[in-house]
Amino acid sequence: MSAVLFEARRLHKRFGDHVVLEEINLAFPEGRLSGIIGPNGAGKTTCFNVLTGRYRPDRGQVLLDGEDITGLPPRRIARKGVSRSFQLMNVFDQFSALDNALLALPALRDRGFDMVHDVRRDGEAQDRAAAVLARVGLGGKEATIAKSLSYGDRRALEIGIALAAEPRILFLDEPTSGLGTEATARLGDLVRELRRHLTIVVIEHDMEFLFGVADAISVIHWGQVIAQGTPEALRENEWVRASNLGRLAS
Amino acid sequence: MNARGFQGPPLGGIVTPSMLVAFLVFGTLPFWISQVGLYPYLGIEVLIWCIFALGFNVLLGYTGLPSFGHGAFFGIGAYAMGLAQFELMPDLWLGLGCATLAGAAFGAVVALFLSHRRGIYFALMTIAFSQMFFFVASKWTSVTNGEDGLLNIERLPADFGFAAVPLRGNTAFYYLCFAGFVLVVIGLWRLIHSPFGKVLQAIKQNEMRTSFLGYNVYLFKWASFTLSCAIAGFAGGLFAMAQSGAFVQIMSLQWSGIVVLMTLIGGGFVSFWGPVIGTVFFFVLRDLLGAYTEAWLLWYGLVFMLIVMFKPEGIAGMWQDAVRRLRGRKPVRGTGPLAALWR
Amino acid sequence: MDLLLNLLPHVMNGLSLGLLFALVALGFMLIIGVMEVINLAHGSLFALGAYVAIAFMSPEGGLQFAFLDGYFALPVAWRLAVALLLAPLAVGIVGMGLELCLRRTYGKDPLYGLLLTFGAALVLEETIRLIWGPTERFLPIPKEISGGVLIGDLIYAKYRFFASAFAIGMILLLWLFLQKTPYGALIKAGAHDSEMVRALGVNLSRLRLMVFAFGTSLAAVAGIVMAPIWGVRPHVGVDAVVPAFVIIVLGGVGSFWGAVFAGLMVGMVVGLTGAFATDWSLISMYMLLIAVVTFRARGLFGKKSVLEA
Repeated sequence: MSAVLFEARRLHKRFGDHVVLEEINLAFPEGRLSGIIGPNGAGKTTCFNVLTGRYRPDRGQVLLDGEDITGLPPRRIARKGVSRSFQLMNVFDQFSALDNALLALPALRDRGFDMVHDVRRDGEAQDRAAAVLARVGLGGKEATIAKSLSYGDRRALEIGIALAAEPRILFLDEPTSGLGTEATARLGDLVRELRRHLTIVVIEHDMEFLFGVADAISVIHWGQVIAQGTPEALRENEWVRASNLGRLAS
Repeated sequence: MNARGFQGPPLGGIVTPSMLVAFLVFGTLPFWISQVGLYPYLGIEVLIWCIFALGFNVLLGYTGLPSFGHGAFFGIGAYAMGLAQFELMPDLWLGLGCATLAGAAFGAVVALFLSHRRGIYFALMTIAFSQMFFFVASKWTSVTNGEDGLLNIERLPADFGFAAVPLRGNTAFYYLCFAGFVLVVIGLWRLIHSPFGKVLQAIKQNEMRTSFLGYNVYLFKWASFTLSCAIAGFAGGLFAMAQSGAFVQIMSLQWSGIVVLMTLIGGGFVSFWGPVIGTVFFFVLRDLLGAYTEAWLLWYGLVFMLIVMFKPEGIAGMWQDAVRRLRGRKPVRGTGPLAALWR
Repeated sequence: MDLLLNLLPHVMNGLSLGLLFALVALGFMLIIGVMEVINLAHGSLFALGAYVAIAFMSPEGGLQFAFLDGYFALPVAWRLAVALLLAPLAVGIVGMGLELCLRRTYGKDPLYGLLLTFGAALVLEETIRLIWGPTERFLPIPKEISGGVLIGDLIYAKYRFFASAFAIGMILLLWLFLQKTPYGALIKAGAHDSEMVRALGVNLSRLRLMVFAFGTSLAAVAGIVMAPIWGVRPHVGVDAVVPAFVIIVLGGVGSFWGAVFAGLMVGMVVGLTGAFATDWSLISMYMLLIAVVTFRARGLFGKKSVLEA
């Protein structure tokens, strides 16, 4: 049983009159891949946003390795080793793929106010960024401007940026969004490979994909966690079987 | 050449080919300017505004923040130069230092209010602050001499310790401005290609993502603004000496607007040299077109609108397209590593 | 007590200013809803309204044609009425032209739209300067509404009462138009949610043009009525767009009476500052803007509004 790296306790979030998250308790063990699944509007994305610091919960706590990070601004949470990708693509369109990854490197982040040294001549940083790109399948496309990449490649870049930050825990927000079967399969391979070195949390719509990569899954519906367990256990879960998501029922 | 195949600029990483061209053209200007029917003082004006515009473009073209009141800092620099001369000590370096510092200091304070914002909020705040500074400069007659301006600012000699070069003549003063130009160009080129410059460009494209990567976006915007104000102040200091006075009109919204127009028309959004191109274009237009019609500024404004509508990449952008077409590539924005060469 | 009484004329000034600011802000607000960018040229159109009105008032205003001699011989009040009718129409047409220019920037980085309206403001100001010159101009007004009136022991400017009454009338008319007529409902809907309006099958481009024409005409009307108070200078445009913006931020985008109330507040600030230090009254507006944006301007309605971009 590995230690819990990231935890959410009794999260509660409302927007105006609308309660989006209610009594959310989640625990993500180190070195494991945890999934979050649920229908649209269930609160998954809000949950993600609270966990990664974009929103502040009204009640509850978010803990990283025991440390309370509730309500910290995203940049501070990022510096503690929390990295996320976005469902609605958020890459730097006018930068090359390489520059996108470069910017995320902790080495560069720590030198943000360096106004003197040319990044193009920083061989080490360039190599590291290129290595990340190669890992997500963008080897050879380093110089391509992000805007010109294909949709699948942009998705890969999206993850690449999050990866380049060398995080302790990686949050992926609907990474298969808009991808075809082949690309999804490739993504699955990538995620399985990453899982060996990294703690990962994935929100997904695509149950088949998630069931294929996750060690444990939480089901969020109506802003609450209604089921938790391994993919095998959840396959037996009534709700999962009954829901529209239950394509796997057989 | 590192593993990625990117070449750094030649010549020790300080000067690029395009810089050399610019330095050559401007460095020899006093010798050929009359030949083309213009005059040496124009060269001084152009260089001063180039410096102003280059600093301004760090904010607009690279960080994506629209300041419509930057003339205020230009004017503050001019006044600081005069006041340093009269109240402190008539020393060239001290005066320029005060001008730059004054620009930076006021910029730093204003930036505290602005750096949380972008877009329209940002723009209107810059207008508000600019108007306030304009107002103070007009009313605080004991310090600024009000609407009449601070007169009799001298072009002090450049004292290097072992020798002092008098700068009263236009040619000599021109070379002082040229020295400033060289410094600013080299410094800003390095800045743009440094990590800091990259972060600014990231902020322009996507503030949220940049902050999610761990960068303190507020601080970077603050720094970008303050830096551009410091450079504006420096240019203002030179301007005060060029005109032998500091006048409140330079702090008006109209002149602040002109530097925006210059920077964008020249192609500040896509090229380091955009502001320089835009400044040259403005002054050439002013002198050539202005000889025929009073409405030259109107035409300039219309050109600006057309450029924003149809070719926001400006003159530099058109040049980049032409070059790409000659080399057989489609004129698409910024494809390939070659784009970096022309920046 | 005396001090308070002496303030009453300034309060009156503040109210009249506030009502006119509200009128400008309301036009501004309608446009924000259908546009993607804030129209920085709104103030220049305000100024243009005053200038075009001057053209309708006397031959020195620009229309020096012999066949108009009969028209210019008419009483001032009649000419003012004509000006109040025709000048906003002319400005509305210019406003539509601006909307057409802006189309090229829709969908791009909002920075470009902002820069374009900035350029338009400059172009308009320069045009005004070229046609009518840089010096201050005056809008002639009928004797009946100019000069002072003694109420109690204090002198009030008669024109302020007229201006306030007119502004109140315009605001009520506007409200009725928006609430009761189908065109008004369309504009309101378009201002609120242009996506939905398009989904309903309304021609969005035509709606945008209409809203622009409408909003800018309102600014022009305010500009004309404000002319005897503020004077007519090419630069007056900037001083008009700033309070409009402050009002929107204070009153909330989309709130009609919020804008009116905020307008009154802003007007009072300016008017009362004028009581103590006339020079400072305009500057108080800029300081108010800085204060409001620093403390108040968070995402309006909690969602990303066009102002956030």
